[in-house]
Amino acid sequence: MLHSLPSLESCNYNGIDMTVLERQQARLKWVQQQQQEQNYMVQNNSNNPVELCASSVPQFQALFGSTLGSRQLVEQNRPEVYLGSDEFPKFVNFSVAGHGPDFVVAAPEAAADYSISRTSSCQMTAFQSAGMKEDGDNVILEKMESTTCGESLNKRKAEAVVDHKCKDKKIKGEVEGESEGKTKCSTEISRNSSKENSKASEVQKPDYIHVRARRGQATDSHSLAERARREKISKKMKCLQDLVPGCNKITGKAGMLDEIINYVQSLQRQVEFLSMKLAALNPSVEFNFDNLPAKEFPAYVANFPAAAKLPAAMANLGCLQFNPLRKEAVSCTVDATMHPPQITSEGIPSVPTSIPEQAISSSCITILFLAGIISGSRFGM
Amino acid sequence: MKPQNLSSSSLKSRFTTRFLRALSRINAQKQFTSTSSPREIFQRYRRIKVAADKSMAYSVRSRRRWSRAMLSKLRSRSSSNSFSSVTRVKKSSAATKTGHEKEAKIKSGTGDQEEADELRELVPGGETMDLCNLLDETAHYIKCLNTQVQAMRKIVDFYSP
Repeated sequence: MLHSLPSLESCNYNGIDMTVLERQQARLKWVQQQQQEQNYMVQNNSNNPVELCASSVPQFQALFGSTLGSRQLVEQNRPEVYLGSDEFPKFVNFSVAGHGPDFVVAAPEAAADYSISRTSSCQMTAFQSAGMKEDGDNVILEKMESTTCGESLNKRKAEAVVDHKCKDKKIKGEVEGESEGKTKCSTEISRNSSKENSKASEVQKPDYIHVRARRGQATDSHSLAERARREKISKKMKCLQDLVPGCNKITGKAGMLDEIINYVQSLQRQVEFLSMKLAALNPSVEFNFDNLPAKEFPAYVANFPAAAKLPAAMANLGCLQFNPLRKEAVSCTVDATMHPPQITSEGIPSVPTSIPEQAISSSCITILFLAGIISGSRFGM
Repeated sequence: MKPQNLSSSSLKSRFTTRFLRALSRINAQKQFTSTSSPREIFQRYRRIKVAADKSMAYSVRSRRRWSRAMLSKLRSRSSSNSFSSVTRVKKSSAATKTGHEKEAKIKSGTGDQEEADELRELVPGGETMDLCNLLDETAHYIKCLNTQVQAMRKIVDFYSP
Protein backbone atom coordinates (compact mmCIF):
# COMPACT_ATOMS: atom_id res chain seq x y z
CA MET A 1 0.00 0.00 0.00
CA LEU A 2 1.70 3.09 -1.20
CA HIS A 3 -0.52 5.44 0.68
CA SER A 4 0.04 4.14 4.08
CA LEU A 5 3.76 4.45 3.81
CA PRO A 6 4.06 8.21 3.53
CA SER A 7 1.30 8.65 6.02
CA LEU A 8 3.13 6.57 8.53
CA GLU A 9 6.28 8.39 7.89
CA SER A 10 4.65 11.74 8.31
CA CYS A 11 3.04 10.60 11.48
CA ASN A 12 6.33 9.58 12.84
CA TYR A 13 7.77 12.84 11.81
CA ASN A 14 5.20 14.77 13.72
CA GLY A 15 5.04 12.33 16.54
CA ILE A 16 7.55 14.19 18.60
CA ASP A 17 4.99 16.11 20.54
CA MET A 18 2.04 13.75 20.24
CA THR A 19 0.92 11.02 22.49
CA VAL A 20 0.52 7.56 21.09
CA LEU A 21 -3.22 7.84 20.96
CA GLU A 22 -3.16 11.10 19.11
CA ARG A 23 -0.73 9.67 16.70
CA GLN A 24 -2.95 6.73 16.10
CA GLN A 25 -5.92 8.91 15.52
CA ALA A 26 -4.02 11.11 13.18
CA ARG A 27 -2.90 8.11 11.28
CA LEU A 28 -6.40 6.75 11.04
CA LYS A 29 -7.61 9.99 9.67
CA TRP A 30 -4.84 10.08 7.21
CA VAL A 31 -5.77 6.66 5.98
CA GLN A 32 -9.34 7.75 5.63
CA GLN A 33 -8.36 10.67 3.56
CA GLN A 34 -6.24 8.53 1.41
CA GLN A 35 -9.14 6.27 0.73
CA GLN A 36 -11.32 9.15 -0.22
CA GLU A 37 -8.79 10.37 -2.60
CA GLN A 38 -8.61 7.00 -4.11
CA ASN A 39 -12.27 7.15 -4.75
CA TYR A 40 -12.42 10.61 -6.14
CA MET A 41 -9.15 11.26 -7.77
CA VAL A 42 -8.56 8.40 -10.06
CA GLN A 43 -7.09 10.64 -12.66
CA ASN A 44 -4.39 11.86 -10.37
CA ASN A 45 -3.31 8.48 -9.21
CA SER A 46 -0.31 8.41 -11.48
CA ASN A 47 2.16 9.78 -8.99
CA ASN A 48 1.67 9.42 -5.34
CA PRO A 49 3.54 12.39 -3.93
CA VAL A 50 1.57 14.75 -6.07
CA GLU A 51 -1.63 13.38 -4.82
CA LEU A 52 -0.38 13.48 -1.33
CA CYS A 53 0.31 17.12 -1.52
CA ALA A 54 -2.79 17.72 -3.49
CA SER A 55 -4.96 16.32 -0.83
CA SER A 56 -3.31 18.48 1.69
CA VAL A 57 -3.43 21.68 -0.25
CA PRO A 58 -6.74 22.89 1.05
CA GLN A 59 -5.31 22.42 4.40
CA PHE A 60 -2.14 23.96 3.28
CA GLN A 61 -4.00 27.02 2.32
CA ALA A 62 -5.67 27.02 5.65
CA LEU A 63 -2.32 26.83 7.25
CA PHE A 64 -1.04 29.74 5.31
CA GLY A 65 -4.10 31.66 6.17
CA SER A 66 -3.47 30.96 9.77
CA THR A 67 0.21 31.60 9.78
CA LEU A 68 0.27 34.70 7.66
CA GLY A 69 -2.90 36.26 8.84
CA SER A 70 -2.49 34.35 12.01
CA ARG A 71 -5.35 35.42 14.21
CA GLN A 72 -7.57 36.67 11.51
CA LEU A 73 -8.83 33.26 10.64
CA VAL A 74 -10.01 32.72 14.11
CA GLU A 75 -11.64 36.10 14.10
CA GLN A 76 -13.49 35.08 11.02
CA ASN A 77 -11.92 37.57 8.68
CA ARG A 78 -12.09 35.54 5.59
CA PRO A 79 -10.69 38.16 3.28
CA GLU A 80 -7.56 38.04 5.31
CA VAL A 81 -7.30 34.38 4.71
CA TYR A 82 -7.28 34.90 1.03
CA LEU A 83 -4.88 37.75 1.45
CA GLY A 84 -2.66 35.35 3.29
CA SER A 85 -2.65 32.94 0.44
CA ASP A 86 -2.20 35.63 -2.16
CA GLU A 87 1.38 34.63 -2.54
CA PHE A 88 0.26 31.82 -4.72
CA PRO A 89 -1.66 33.48 -7.46
CA LYS A 90 -2.37 30.37 -9.32
CA PHE A 91 -3.52 28.78 -6.22
CA VAL A 92 -5.86 31.58 -5.48
CA ASN A 93 -7.38 31.52 -8.90
CA PHE A 94 -8.61 28.09 -8.28
CA SER A 95 -9.11 28.37 -4.64
CA VAL A 96 -11.67 31.10 -4.93
CA ALA A 97 -13.72 28.72 -6.91
CA GLY A 98 -12.78 25.52 -5.25
CA HIS A 99 -12.22 26.37 -1.65
CA GLY A 100 -14.82 28.99 -1.17
CA PRO A 101 -17.48 26.72 0.23
CA ASP A 102 -15.03 24.89 2.29
CA PHE A 103 -13.89 27.98 4.01
CA VAL A 104 -17.34 29.26 4.55
CA VAL A 105 -17.80 26.29 6.70
CA ALA A 106 -14.39 26.24 8.16
CA ALA A 107 -14.02 29.82 9.26
CA PRO A 108 -17.01 30.04 11.54
CA GLU A 109 -16.15 26.70 12.92
CA ALA A 110 -12.72 27.88 13.84
CA ALA A 111 -14.19 30.95 15.43
CA ALA A 112 -16.97 28.99 17.01
CA ASP A 113 -15.88 28.54 20.55
CA TYR A 114 -12.91 26.33 20.67
CA SER A 115 -10.36 29.07 20.48
CA ILE A 116 -8.02 26.89 18.57
CA SER A 117 -4.51 28.05 18.85
CA ARG A 118 -2.98 27.54 15.51
CA THR A 119 0.60 27.44 16.43
CA SER A 120 1.87 24.27 14.95
CA SER A 121 3.20 22.87 18.18
CA CYS A 122 -0.11 22.58 19.98
CA GLN A 123 -2.52 22.11 17.14
CA MET A 124 -3.07 18.51 17.83
CA THR A 125 -3.71 18.92 21.48
CA ALA A 126 -6.03 21.80 20.91
CA PHE A 127 -8.11 19.82 18.52
CA GLN A 128 -7.97 16.86 20.75
CA SER A 129 -9.41 18.79 23.62
CA ALA A 130 -11.99 20.34 21.37
CA GLY A 131 -13.02 16.91 20.31
CA MET A 132 -13.22 15.76 23.88
CA LYS A 133 -15.42 18.64 24.81
CA GLU A 134 -18.13 17.82 22.41
CA ASP A 135 -20.70 15.54 23.87
CA GLY A 136 -23.37 13.49 22.44
CA ASP A 137 -24.52 13.03 18.96
CA ASN A 138 -21.84 10.93 17.55
CA VAL A 139 -24.54 8.58 16.48
CA ILE A 140 -26.09 11.09 14.15
CA LEU A 141 -22.78 11.68 12.60
CA GLU A 142 -22.18 8.08 12.10
CA LYS A 143 -25.43 7.79 10.28
CA MET A 144 -24.45 10.67 8.13
CA GLU A 145 -21.25 9.00 7.39
CA SER A 146 -22.85 5.77 6.41
CA THR A 147 -25.22 7.53 4.04
CA THR A 148 -22.80 9.91 2.44
CA CYS A 149 -19.68 7.88 2.31
CA GLY A 150 -20.56 4.39 1.38
CA GLU A 151 -17.10 3.18 2.06
CA SER A 152 -16.87 1.64 5.47
CA LEU A 153 -13.91 3.51 6.72
CA ASN A 154 -13.89 3.46 10.43
CA LYS A 155 -17.16 3.44 12.20
CA ARG A 156 -15.89 4.92 15.38
CA LYS A 157 -14.29 7.83 13.67
CA ALA A 158 -17.04 10.27 13.13
CA GLU A 159 -16.55 11.93 9.81
CA ALA A 160 -18.29 15.09 8.89
CA VAL A 161 -17.91 14.82 5.19
CA VAL A 162 -21.04 15.60 3.28
CA ASP A 163 -21.53 14.86 -0.33
CA HIS A 164 -20.96 18.26 -1.79
CA LYS A 165 -17.82 18.60 0.18
CA CYS A 166 -16.53 15.43 -1.29
CA LYS A 167 -17.09 16.89 -4.70
CA ASP A 168 -15.27 19.95 -3.59
CA LYS A 169 -12.39 17.87 -2.60
CA LYS A 170 -12.32 16.26 -5.94
CA ILE A 171 -12.12 19.59 -7.65
CA LYS A 172 -9.49 20.70 -5.27
CA GLY A 173 -7.58 17.60 -5.89
CA GLU A 174 -7.40 18.30 -9.56
CA VAL A 175 -6.53 21.86 -8.97
CA GLU A 176 -3.86 21.22 -6.52
CA GLY A 177 -2.28 18.58 -8.61
CA GLU A 178 -1.28 21.42 -10.86
CA SER A 179 -0.21 23.78 -8.18
CA GLU A 180 1.85 21.16 -6.51
CA GLY A 181 5.03 22.59 -7.88
CA LYS A 182 4.53 25.71 -5.86
CA THR A 183 3.40 24.13 -2.72
CA LYS A 184 6.05 21.56 -2.30
CA CYS A 185 8.30 24.02 -0.51
CA SER A 186 7.16 22.73 2.80
CA THR A 187 5.45 19.43 2.35
CA GLU A 188 6.16 18.52 5.89
CA ILE A 189 4.15 21.46 7.16
CA SER A 190 1.33 20.65 4.82
CA ARG A 191 1.25 17.13 6.07
CA ASN A 192 1.06 18.39 9.54
CA SER A 193 -1.74 20.71 8.65
CA SER A 194 -3.52 18.05 6.66
CA LYS A 195 -3.91 16.00 9.72
CA GLU A 196 -5.00 18.97 11.64
CA ASN A 197 -7.52 19.95 9.07
CA SER A 198 -8.91 16.48 8.72
CA LYS A 199 -9.68 16.88 12.35
CA ALA A 200 -11.06 20.30 11.67
CA SER A 201 -13.47 18.81 9.19
CA GLU A 202 -14.78 16.75 12.02
CA VAL A 203 -15.05 19.67 14.29
CA GLN A 204 -16.83 21.64 11.66
CA LYS A 205 -20.21 20.63 13.01
CA PRO A 206 -20.16 21.76 16.58
CA ASP A 207 -23.89 21.29 16.84
CA TYR A 208 -23.76 17.60 16.25
CA ILE A 209 -20.58 16.26 17.72
CA HIS A 210 -20.11 16.54 21.41
CA VAL A 211 -18.10 13.64 22.62
CA ARG A 212 -15.77 11.75 20.48
CA ALA A 213 -15.65 8.10 21.18
CA ARG A 214 -12.32 6.47 20.82
CA ARG A 215 -11.93 3.28 18.94
CA GLY A 216 -13.72 0.46 20.61
CA GLN A 217 -15.80 2.68 22.83
CA ALA A 218 -19.52 2.66 22.98
CA THR A 219 -21.31 5.60 21.45
CA ASP A 220 -24.81 5.47 22.84
CA SER A 221 -25.82 8.39 24.96
CA HIS A 222 -25.80 6.46 28.20
CA SER A 223 -22.23 5.39 28.01
CA LEU A 224 -21.21 8.83 26.85
CA ALA A 225 -22.84 10.38 29.87
CA GLU A 226 -21.23 7.77 32.03
CA ARG A 227 -17.87 8.61 30.60
CA ALA A 228 -18.38 12.31 31.25
CA ARG A 229 -19.38 11.53 34.80
CA ARG A 230 -16.35 9.38 35.35
CA GLU A 231 -14.13 12.13 34.07
CA LYS A 232 -15.73 14.54 36.51
CA ILE A 233 -15.23 12.16 39.37
CA SER A 234 -11.61 11.62 38.54
CA LYS A 235 -11.14 15.39 38.47
CA LYS A 236 -12.66 15.66 41.90
CA MET A 237 -10.49 12.81 43.06
CA LYS A 238 -7.44 14.69 41.94
CA CYS A 239 -8.62 17.67 43.94
CA LEU A 240 -8.99 15.50 47.00
CA GLN A 241 -5.63 13.95 46.42
CA ASP A 242 -4.03 17.31 46.97
CA LEU A 243 -5.93 17.79 50.20
CA VAL A 244 -5.29 14.45 51.81
CA PRO A 245 -1.69 13.89 52.80
CA GLY A 246 -0.15 10.65 51.72
CA CYS A 247 -2.74 10.14 49.04
CA ASN A 248 -0.38 10.77 46.17
CA LYS A 249 1.23 7.38 46.25
CA ILE A 250 -2.00 5.46 46.15
CA THR A 251 -3.46 4.58 42.81
CA GLY A 252 -6.93 3.33 42.31
CA LYS A 253 -10.18 4.76 43.43
CA ALA A 254 -10.87 2.31 46.22
CA GLY A 255 -7.54 2.88 47.89
CA MET A 256 -7.89 6.61 47.63
CA LEU A 257 -11.38 6.54 49.06
CA ASP A 258 -10.05 4.46 51.91
CA GLU A 259 -7.36 7.00 52.57
CA ILE A 260 -9.84 9.85 52.44
CA ILE A 261 -12.11 8.07 54.87
CA ASN A 262 -9.25 7.48 57.24
CA TYR A 263 -8.22 11.09 57.05
CA VAL A 264 -11.71 12.40 57.69
CA GLN A 265 -12.10 10.03 60.59
CA SER A 266 -8.80 11.07 62.05
CA LEU A 267 -9.77 14.72 61.76
CA GLN A 268 -13.09 14.09 63.41
CA ARG A 269 -11.37 12.19 66.16
CA GLN A 270 -8.96 15.03 66.59
CA VAL A 271 -11.85 17.42 67.02
CA GLU A 272 -13.32 15.07 69.58
CA PHE A 273 -10.07 14.81 71.42
CA LEU A 274 -9.54 18.54 71.45
CA SER A 275 -13.01 19.26 72.72
CA MET A 276 -12.43 16.59 75.33
CA LYS A 277 -9.25 18.32 76.33
CA LEU A 278 -11.08 21.58 76.58
CA ALA A 279 -13.77 20.00 78.70
CA ALA A 280 -11.21 18.51 81.02
CA LEU A 281 -9.17 21.64 81.04
CA ASN A 282 -11.79 24.12 81.93
CA PRO A 283 -12.42 23.32 85.59
CA SER A 284 -8.80 23.83 86.50
CA VAL A 285 -8.49 27.00 84.49
CA GLU A 286 -11.98 28.18 85.12
CA PHE A 287 -11.07 31.27 87.09
CA ASN A 288 -8.64 32.03 84.37
CA PHE A 289 -11.44 31.80 81.90
CA ASP A 290 -13.43 34.27 83.90
CA ASN A 291 -10.54 36.63 84.20
CA LEU A 292 -9.81 36.40 80.55
CA PRO A 293 -11.36 39.12 78.52
CA ALA A 294 -13.09 36.77 76.12
CA LYS A 295 -13.51 39.52 73.61
CA GLU A 296 -9.84 40.27 73.45
CA PHE A 297 -8.70 36.88 72.41
CA PRO A 298 -10.93 36.40 69.39
CA ALA A 299 -10.15 39.90 68.33
CA TYR A 300 -6.52 39.08 68.46
CA VAL A 301 -6.97 35.81 66.65
CA ALA A 302 -9.12 37.45 64.06
CA ASN A 303 -6.51 40.01 63.30
CA PHE A 304 -3.61 37.74 63.49
CA PRO A 305 -2.22 37.85 59.97
CA ALA A 306 -2.41 41.60 59.85
CA ALA A 307 -1.59 42.16 63.48
CA ALA A 308 1.53 40.10 63.46
CA LYS A 309 3.04 42.31 60.84
CA LEU A 310 2.04 45.59 62.39
CA PRO A 311 3.44 47.17 65.52
CA ALA A 312 -0.11 47.02 66.79
CA ALA A 313 0.67 43.45 67.70
CA MET A 314 3.31 44.72 70.08
CA ALA A 315 0.85 47.07 71.62
CA ASN A 316 -1.54 44.21 72.00
CA LEU A 317 1.14 42.21 73.74
CA GLY A 318 2.00 45.14 75.92
CA CYS A 319 -1.48 45.44 77.24
CA LEU A 320 -1.47 41.79 78.13
CA GLN A 321 1.86 41.96 79.84
CA PHE A 322 0.56 42.05 83.38
CA ASN A 323 -0.43 38.45 83.11
CA PRO A 324 2.69 36.42 82.44
CA LEU A 325 0.88 33.17 81.87
CA ARG A 326 -1.39 34.50 79.24
CA LYS A 327 1.46 36.33 77.68
CA GLU A 328 3.32 33.11 77.27
CA ALA A 329 0.26 31.51 75.75
CA VAL A 330 -0.14 34.29 73.27
CA SER A 331 3.42 34.01 72.12
CA CYS A 332 2.92 30.29 71.83
CA THR A 333 -0.13 30.72 69.63
CA VAL A 334 1.75 33.16 67.50
CA ASP A 335 4.46 30.60 67.15
CA ALA A 336 1.97 28.00 66.16
CA THR A 337 0.85 30.04 63.22
CA MET A 338 4.39 30.59 62.09
CA HIS A 339 4.50 34.30 62.31
CA PRO A 340 7.69 36.30 62.68
CA PRO A 341 9.69 35.12 65.68
CA GLN A 342 10.36 38.68 66.73
CA ILE A 343 7.17 38.63 68.75
CA THR A 344 8.30 35.66 70.75
CA SER A 345 11.62 37.30 71.37
CA GLU A 346 9.66 40.28 72.60
CA GLY A 347 7.94 38.08 75.10
CA ILE A 348 9.02 37.54 78.67
CA PRO A 349 11.88 35.04 78.72
CA SER A 350 10.99 33.28 81.92
CA VAL A 351 7.76 31.35 81.86
CA PRO A 352 6.30 31.12 85.30
CA THR A 353 3.79 28.32 85.61
CA SER A 354 1.06 29.47 87.89
CA ILE A 355 -0.75 26.17 87.91
CA PRO A 356 0.69 23.44 90.08
CA GLU A 357 1.90 20.29 88.47
CA GLN A 358 -0.57 18.07 90.18
CA ALA A 359 -3.36 19.97 88.48
CA ILE A 360 -1.84 19.15 85.13
CA SER A 361 -1.49 15.51 85.95
CA SER A 362 -5.05 15.37 87.22
CA SER A 363 -6.33 16.92 84.01
CA CYS A 364 -4.38 14.33 82.07
CA ILE A 365 -5.94 11.60 84.12
CA THR A 366 -9.40 12.95 83.54
CA ILE A 367 -8.72 13.03 79.82
CA LEU A 368 -7.71 9.42 79.85
CA PHE A 369 -10.73 8.58 81.89
CA LEU A 370 -12.93 10.44 79.47
CA ALA A 371 -11.42 8.61 76.56
CA GLY A 372 -12.39 5.41 78.27
CA ILE A 373 -15.93 6.62 78.78
CA ILE A 374 -16.35 7.72 75.24
CA SER A 375 -14.96 4.60 73.74
CA GLY A 376 -17.23 2.66 76.04
CA SER A 377 -20.28 4.56 74.89
CA ARG A 378 -19.25 4.06 71.33
CA PHE A 379 -19.40 0.33 71.63
CA GLY A 380 -22.65 0.10 73.44
CA MET A 381 -22.07 0.94 77.04
CA MET B 1 -11.79 26.90 44.84
CA LYS B 2 -10.12 30.28 44.89
CA PRO B 3 -12.60 32.14 47.05
CA GLN B 4 -12.35 29.35 49.57
CA ASN B 5 -8.63 29.68 49.70
CA LEU B 6 -8.92 33.38 50.15
CA SER B 7 -11.47 33.10 52.88
CA SER B 8 -9.76 30.30 54.78
CA SER B 9 -8.20 32.70 57.26
CA SER B 10 -11.45 34.54 57.74
CA LEU B 11 -13.19 31.21 58.13
CA LYS B 12 -10.80 30.37 60.88
CA SER B 13 -11.34 33.66 62.64
CA ARG B 14 -15.09 33.31 62.31
CA PHE B 15 -14.93 29.87 63.76
CA THR B 16 -12.73 30.88 66.68
CA THR B 17 -14.94 33.81 67.54
CA ARG B 18 -18.05 31.69 67.57
CA PHE B 19 -16.44 28.83 69.34
CA LEU B 20 -14.97 30.94 72.09
CA ARG B 21 -18.26 32.64 72.63
CA ALA B 22 -19.93 29.26 72.90
CA LEU B 23 -17.24 28.04 75.27
CA SER B 24 -17.64 30.98 77.57
CA ARG B 25 -21.38 30.44 77.51
CA ILE B 26 -20.93 26.80 78.44
CA ASN B 27 -18.56 27.76 81.18
CA ALA B 28 -20.93 30.37 82.50
CA GLN B 29 -23.63 27.73 82.68
CA LYS B 30 -21.44 25.24 84.42
CA GLN B 31 -19.84 27.65 86.80
CA PHE B 32 -21.81 26.53 89.82
CA THR B 33 -20.72 22.94 89.41
CA SER B 34 -17.01 23.33 89.57
CA THR B 35 -16.61 19.83 90.92
CA SER B 36 -15.01 17.86 88.16
CA SER B 37 -16.84 14.61 88.37
CA PRO B 38 -16.40 12.53 85.24
CA ARG B 39 -20.05 12.79 84.41
CA GLU B 40 -19.89 16.55 84.49
CA ILE B 41 -16.85 16.54 82.32
CA PHE B 42 -18.47 14.17 79.92
CA GLN B 43 -21.49 16.38 79.62
CA ARG B 44 -19.29 19.36 79.09
CA TYR B 45 -17.39 17.46 76.47
CA ARG B 46 -20.60 16.77 74.64
CA ARG B 47 -21.58 20.37 74.78
CA ILE B 48 -18.21 21.52 73.58
CA LYS B 49 -18.28 19.06 70.75
CA VAL B 50 -21.69 20.25 69.65
CA ALA B 51 -20.54 23.83 70.01
CA ALA B 52 -17.53 23.14 67.83
CA ASP B 53 -19.68 21.53 65.16
CA LYS B 54 -22.21 24.26 65.31
CA SER B 55 -19.75 27.09 65.12
CA MET B 56 -18.05 25.37 62.22
CA ALA B 57 -21.28 24.94 60.35
CA TYR B 58 -22.35 28.47 61.12
CA SER B 59 -19.10 29.97 59.95
CA VAL B 60 -19.50 28.12 56.67
CA ARG B 61 -23.15 29.15 56.59
CA SER B 62 -25.52 27.40 54.27
CA ARG B 63 -23.17 27.67 51.36
CA ARG B 64 -22.43 23.99 51.42
CA ARG B 65 -24.62 21.00 51.59
CA TRP B 66 -22.71 19.44 54.43
CA SER B 67 -22.98 22.55 56.56
CA ARG B 68 -26.69 22.76 55.84
CA ALA B 69 -27.15 19.15 56.81
CA MET B 70 -25.11 19.60 59.94
CA LEU B 71 -27.05 22.68 60.97
CA SER B 72 -30.39 21.01 60.46
CA LYS B 73 -29.18 17.99 62.37
CA LEU B 74 -27.95 20.13 65.23
CA ARG B 75 -31.14 22.13 65.25
CA SER B 76 -33.27 19.05 65.49
CA ARG B 77 -30.99 17.83 68.23
CA SER B 78 -31.02 21.11 70.12
CA SER B 79 -34.80 21.11 70.17
CA SER B 80 -34.58 18.09 72.43
CA ASN B 81 -31.45 19.34 74.10
CA SER B 82 -33.22 20.65 77.20
CA PHE B 83 -33.05 17.19 78.72
CA SER B 84 -29.43 16.42 78.52
CA SER B 85 -29.80 12.87 79.76
CA VAL B 86 -32.24 12.06 76.96
CA THR B 87 -29.91 13.41 74.33
CA ARG B 88 -27.08 11.50 75.81
CA VAL B 89 -28.95 8.26 75.54
CA LYS B 90 -29.89 9.09 71.99
CA LYS B 91 -26.36 9.93 71.06
CA SER B 92 -24.91 6.85 72.56
CA SER B 93 -27.43 4.69 70.74
CA ALA B 94 -26.58 6.45 67.52
CA ALA B 95 -22.92 5.86 68.15
CA THR B 96 -23.45 2.15 68.72
CA LYS B 97 -25.51 1.89 65.60
CA THR B 98 -22.82 3.43 63.45
CA GLY B 99 -20.29 1.16 65.01
CA HIS B 100 -22.31 -1.88 64.13
CA GLU B 101 -22.87 -0.66 60.63
CA LYS B 102 -19.19 -0.14 60.18
CA GLU B 103 -18.41 -3.64 61.31
CA ALA B 104 -21.01 -5.03 58.95
CA LYS B 105 -19.50 -3.07 56.13
CA ILE B 106 -16.05 -4.31 56.84
CA LYS B 107 -17.33 -7.85 56.81
CA SER B 108 -19.17 -7.44 53.54
CA GLY B 109 -15.96 -6.77 51.72
CA THR B 110 -14.39 -3.86 49.91
CA GLY B 111 -15.47 -2.14 46.79
CA ASP B 112 -15.96 1.34 45.49
CA GLN B 113 -19.53 1.33 46.58
CA GLU B 114 -18.75 0.27 50.11
CA GLU B 115 -16.17 2.95 50.49
CA ALA B 116 -18.42 5.57 49.03
CA ASP B 117 -21.12 4.57 51.50
CA GLU B 118 -18.68 4.75 54.32
CA LEU B 119 -17.66 8.20 53.25
CA ARG B 120 -21.31 9.14 53.01
CA GLU B 121 -21.71 8.33 56.64
CA LEU B 122 -18.77 10.45 57.62
CA VAL B 123 -19.67 13.55 55.69
CA PRO B 124 -22.79 15.15 57.12
CA GLY B 125 -25.65 15.09 54.70
CA GLY B 126 -23.75 12.75 52.43
CA GLU B 127 -26.47 10.11 52.46
CA THR B 128 -28.39 11.87 49.73
CA MET B 129 -25.51 12.84 47.51
CA ASP B 130 -24.24 11.14 44.42
CA LEU B 131 -20.57 10.34 44.23
CA CYS B 132 -19.61 13.47 42.34
CA ASN B 133 -21.21 15.84 44.82
CA LEU B 134 -20.00 13.73 47.67
CA LEU B 135 -16.40 14.13 46.62
CA ASP B 136 -16.85 17.83 46.21
CA GLU B 137 -18.39 18.20 49.63
CA THR B 138 -15.77 15.96 51.13
CA ALA B 139 -13.03 18.20 49.83
CA HIS B 140 -14.61 21.23 51.42
CA TYR B 141 -15.40 19.38 54.59
CA ILE B 142 -11.80 18.28 54.93
CA LYS B 143 -10.64 21.84 54.53
CA CYS B 144 -13.03 23.02 57.17
CA LEU B 145 -12.11 20.23 59.55
CA ASN B 146 -8.50 21.17 59.13
CA THR B 147 -9.14 24.77 60.06
CA GLN B 148 -11.29 23.63 62.94
CA VAL B 149 -8.56 21.41 64.29
CA GLN B 150 -5.99 24.14 63.94
CA ALA B 151 -8.12 26.69 65.72
CA MET B 152 -9.08 24.33 68.50
CA ARG B 153 -5.54 23.28 69.03
CA LYS B 154 -4.57 26.90 69.35
CA ILE B 155 -7.27 27.46 71.91
CA VAL B 156 -6.22 24.41 73.87
CA ASP B 157 -2.63 25.59 73.79
CA PHE B 158 -3.75 28.97 74.95
CA TYR B 159 -5.59 27.73 77.97
CA SER B 160 -3.49 24.77 78.91
CA PRO B 161 -0.65 25.43 81.32
